Amino acid sequence: MTKSNIFFTTDPAKLFLPWMSMLMTFIAVLVLAGGMATYSSVTRWQRTVSGSLTVQIPTYTELGASRGEMVDREIETTLTILRSSEGVLGATVLSDRQMSDLMAPWLGENAVITELPLPKLIDVTVDPNSRLDIAQIKSDLATQVPSAILDSHRIWLTPLLRISSGIIKLIGFILVLLSLTAAFTVIYATRTSLTVHEPVIALVHMMGAGDLYVTQQYASRSFQLTLLGSLFGFFLTLPIMAGVSFFIQGASFDFILKQSLSLGQWAVLLSVPFLLSVLAFITTFKTVMNYLKRFL
Amino acid sequence: MAKQNKLSSPVAEFNGVSFRYDSGPEVLKDIQFTLDPGSFYFMTGESGAGKTSLLSLLYLYHLPTKGRVRLFGHAVDELTRPAKARIRRQMGVVFQDFRLLNHLTAFDNVALPLRIAGAKESEIRRHVSELLVWVGLENQMRAYPPELSGGEKQRVAIARAVINRPTLLMADEPTGNVDDSMAKRLLHLFLELNKLGTTVVIATHNEGLIKHFNFPRLHLEKGRLNVIQPNQYKEMASKLFNRGAEND
Ligand SMILES: Nc1ncnc2c1ncn2[C@@H]1O[C@H](COP(=O)(O)OP(=O)(O)OP(=O)(O)O)[C@@H](O)[C@H]1O
Ligand SMILES: [Mg+2]
Repeated sequence: MTKSNIFFTTDPAKLFLPWMSMLMTFIAVLVLAGGMATYSSVTRWQRTVSGSLTVQIPTYTELGASRGEMVDREIETTLTILRSSEGVLGATVLSDRQMSDLMAPWLGENAVITELPLPKLIDVTVDPNSRLDIAQIKSDLATQVPSAILDSHRIWLTPLLRISSGIIKLIGFILVLLSLTAAFTVIYATRTSLTVHEPVIALVHMMGAGDLYVTQQYASRSFQLTLLGSLFGFFLTLPIMAGVSFFIQGASFDFILKQSLSLGQWAVLLSVPFLLSVLAFITTFKTVMNYLKRFL
Repeated sequence: MAKQNKLSSPVAEFNGVSFRYDSGPEVLKDIQFTLDPGSFYFMTGESGAGKTSLLSLLYLYHLPTKGRVRLFGHAVDELTRPAKARIRRQMGVVFQDFRLLNHLTAFDNVALPLRIAGAKESEIRRHVSELLVWVGLENQMRAYPPELSGGEKQRVAIARAVINRPTLLMADEPTGNVDDSMAKRLLHLFLELNKLGTTVVIATHNEGLIKHFNFPRLHLEKGRLNVIQPNQYKEMASKLFNRGAEND
C-alpha cells in the first residue's frame, strides 16, 4: 500500500475526473486548433497582401502580337491614375530583375524573363489606414486603360478579417466557459469525494496528519486523474484534426503537421492537458483546505 | 512547540473546564486536574458520565466551552493548526468505537500513524508485524476489519494507538470486548509503554482490572470529576456494589 490509497478506494472521482477531463480537453483542443488555424491563416494573408494592390498591363495581345509602345503609354496613364488616388502611397513598375525573382520558383533562377510574354506589373503600396476607393480606381482604369487588370486583395480581406476576429472572440469565450465548467466539476467531484471519505479524513486528522498532508494527496490525485483523461482526450483530437485538414487542404498528414499549425501553436495545444490538470490541482487544493477547517 | 516540551510541564492541565455539545446541557462541569508525565490513570464513571467527552478534550477533538486546557504546556486554544497536528502525533487514542478503516487490512490500519509520520516502509513492516504478533493477531494481519471479531478489532485499535510510542495514550473502554486474561495482557502492553515514559489514561468499567492494578483514578459523576487515590478504592468499590452498578 502506498500512502495515497489511504483515502481512495471507493471513490466517485476515480472515473468522474478522467472522463470529464477527456471530454473537456477534446473540445478545448479542437476549438483552440480551429481558432489558431483561422488566426494564422488570416495573419498569413494579411502579411502577404495587406495594403498591396497590383495592376497588370499585358505586353502581348491575346493573339500573341507585341503591343509595343502602347504598353509604355498605358503604364504612364495607370501610374498617373494611381498616384492621384487617395490612400495610395506609391506605385512602381516591377523591374525585370524583380519579375525574375518573383517567377524564380516556377521558372528557375536564370530564366530570360524578357523573352516571355509576361505582363508588366505595377506594385501599389496602399496606406492601410486610409479609405481606398477601389471602385473609383477600377472605373478610371476601365475607361482610360481598358487592358489593365486590377488585383485587389482588400476587397475580400476586410470582411474575412471581421469574421475571423469574431471567431477568435467566440473561441475565447468558449474556452473561458470550458475552464469554468471544469473548475465547477472538479469542486463537485472533490466535495463528493470528501463527503464519502469524511470518517477517514477525521481519523487521519486526529492522528496528527497535517492539512497539507491530506490536501496534497487529494490535489495530486486530482492532478493525476485529470492529466490521464486529458492526455487521452488530446490524442483523440489528432485523427480528427488530421481528417479536417485533409479535407480542407487535400494534403498529406505530414504536410498538415508541418504546415497548418506552427510549433508554438502545437505547444499551446499540448499545454491544454497540463493547464487543465493544474486547474484541477489548484481547485482541489482550495476545496480540501476549505473543507478541513471544520476539523479543530 | 510540542517538540520542546519542558520536562517539568504537565502532560495535561485542566483548569475550570466545562463542556457542552452545541447548545445541549453541560456534560462536563468545572473539571480540574493535572496529568504528570509518566503517570497512569484509570477513568471511571457510569455510562453517560462524560468519560468519552473528557477524553475528546484531551485528544484535541473538541475545545472546552469554558475554562482552559493545556497540553504539554501549551494552551490549546492558542495553538496553530500545525502545532495541534504535532501534538496529535504524540498521542495515541483507542476509540470506544474503534474507528478502524474498513478498506484497509489490520496491518495497514495499524501502520497508519507511522505512515502519517512518514516512517520508512521497512521499519513499518517490522514494527507492525511485531506488535500484531504481540496482541495475538499474527494470523489476521491481512484481514479486513469486517472480517474480525469484536475483540480482534479492539486489539487492532489498541495496536494502532501504541504503534507510535505516544507520549500520551488514551484508551476508551479498551478491554470491553475481550476476556479477562486478554484484558490483562493488553493492560500489560500499556504498562510497558508507561514504563518507557508514556502517560496513560484508560476509561473502563472493568472493576476487576482497576483493583488488579494499583493506579489512581479519574472518577466522573454526572460531569463532575473526582481524583481518587488507590487507597480509596475499596470504599468506592463497595459503594458501586451497593448501588448495583450495571458494569462488569
Ligand atoms: N456528539 C454528541 N452530541 C451531543 N451529546 C453528546 C454527544 N456525545 C455524547 N453526548 C452526551 O454527553 C454526555 C456524556 O457522554 P459521554 O459519551 O462522554 O459518556 P461516557 O462516560 O463516555 O459514557 P459510556 O460509558 O457509555 O461510554 C451524555 O449525556 C451524552 O448523551
Ligand atoms: Mg464513552
